Amino acid sequence: MNSRRGRPVNSRPYALAVPAMAAIISAFLALPVVVIVYYAFSPSGLMVFPPKALTLHWFVNFFASGRFRGALINSLLIAALVTPASLGIAVPTAIALVRRDFAGRGALNALILSPLIIPGVVSGVAFLNFFTWTGVTSGFWRIAIAMMCFTLPFAVRALVATLHGLDGALEEAGRNLGARPWQAFLAITLPQLYPGLLAGGIFVFVEAIDNFSIAVFLTDLRTTTLPVEAYGYIRDFDDPTIAALATILIAQSLILVFILQRFVGMDRFLDLRR
Amino acid sequence: MKQVPVLWLLWPVLLVLAVFFAAFGYFVADSFLHQIPGTAMMAGPVSLENYRTILGSVLVQRIFVGTLWISCKITLAATLLGYPLAYLLARTASARVRQAILFLLVVTFLSGGITRAYAWMILLGNNGPINRSLRDFGYPPLALLNNETGVLISLVHFVIPFFVLTLFGTIKNIPMALEEAARNLGGRRWRAFTSVTLPLSLPGLVSAMLLTFTVTVSSFLFPLLLGGGRVQMAANLIYDKMENSFDMPVAATISILFLLVSLVPLSAFSLLRMGLGRRFGGTRR
Repeated sequence: MNSRRGRPVNSRPYALAVPAMAAIISAFLALPVVVIVYYAFSPSGLMVFPPKALTLHWFVNFFASGRFRGALINSLLIAALVTPASLGIAVPTAIALVRRDFAGRGALNALILSPLIIPGVVSGVAFLNFFTWTGVTSGFWRIAIAMMCFTLPFAVRALVATLHGLDGALEEAGRNLGARPWQAFLAITLPQLYPGLLAGGIFVFVEAIDNFSIAVFLTDLRTTTLPVEAYGYIRDFDDPTIAALATILIAQSLILVFILQRFVGMDRFLDLRR
Repeated sequence: MKQVPVLWLLWPVLLVLAVFFAAFGYFVADSFLHQIPGTAMMAGPVSLENYRTILGSVLVQRIFVGTLWISCKITLAATLLGYPLAYLLARTASARVRQAILFLLVVTFLSGGITRAYAWMILLGNNGPINRSLRDFGYPPLALLNNETGVLISLVHFVIPFFVLTLFGTIKNIPMALEEAARNLGGRRWRAFTSVTLPLSLPGLVSAMLLTFTVTVSSFLFPLLLGGGRVQMAANLIYDKMENSFDMPVAATISILFLLVSLVPLSAFSLLRMGLGRRFGGTRR
């Protein structure tokens, strides 16, 4: 696309004010990330610049705490459970929404996306009420089920966008050559869906780990998640232990971005977001 | 050719939706009950009493209006800051600049809410780098934390990735030749922008503002951590009702009313977007 756009060398389409503003806004975006990583390694809990020394003390503190370790394990387990489940449900749903014509398709699509516009706290209290009625007392399962409902739209959206870009005729050709529906799906469509699976999976995973507003209502005495535990700690203590956690989450985000760039490509990923 | 019945594909999602809407069904039903004093239990008779009380409460009205107002301010700020960034991202000739901005946006986006809320707490605090530098240069510290300023700054930061990533696709799809034509016909850059690019980007702009508003209006963690109890948004009010009195019927009533209140501006935005889509039809959807 870019190669077709020949344009005169001297005519930038925008004034210099645009990159100048963009630079300032980019700095604003990067500022908290940089500061919190720096804070995580600072010995005194006060930010002194230039640093006199760096320390891993707050990371040790984080991992030494039984509560944080428990919360970390819970968050990872819930995300590891919810991500494949969400994708597994989203794949047939997206196929039905894109490839099939049935009564109420538009309405179903709207219903599936509706959790996105409901404030998290509202969903959180509604789930708490529901689980109290139905007798689900385990915090782990309450959060896992709620996250399942809440993250499904992200997965469906990414897969619907991927499917829109695919040619359904390929699968049909496979069927014409004698493949059963399942064979044609596994051999032809599923491999083509991988950008959607990867991008959708990353959204679901991050949301399941990071969610606070729903999870905070559903924890029990034994089960908390990382954000809920972090909030409790911030309320009671004033030291950079949470900065160490934040640094770990930023590192996780960097790894995910690397995976996206490597296997999907950033531009493609952005198309799948919408 | 014989196809798998559609219901085979849809039953898992229908099951999830059933759980989700069952939860909301119970929720609505319970908003007509009342709490048995001193317990976490509810009882009848069924009445509209909660709705009458909540709708009549000046505190609740003030918090609802305040939540919508803060969300408007943040959406406006995100638009002013986000548009130039989205524009540069869509129009820059340098792949490196584009990659750098995308990287920054996606890394911030995926690093999560708790990370950013806490980072702003540290940055804006009394002993944070901003106020320490001010003191070092002999200025009095600024009250940036535990008030609305902190909530505004951090929330604008939180929503900019949502805004830019939504808008930039639309700008990218506007043929650059249109802008060039406007400039070749003698228009200045600004004129070319206001008469060509801006109107053609309106559908994407409204979508981006809609998403920004949705995210802001339901924000909970940022006012909780950066507002210091002085900035109450609707979500915080609901949380307090549950924390302090565990009054489920009242919390359900406030939740349902808040959901309705927040849906009004959202539907207005959506209608606007549909109207724009019909008029300009420039986007892919």
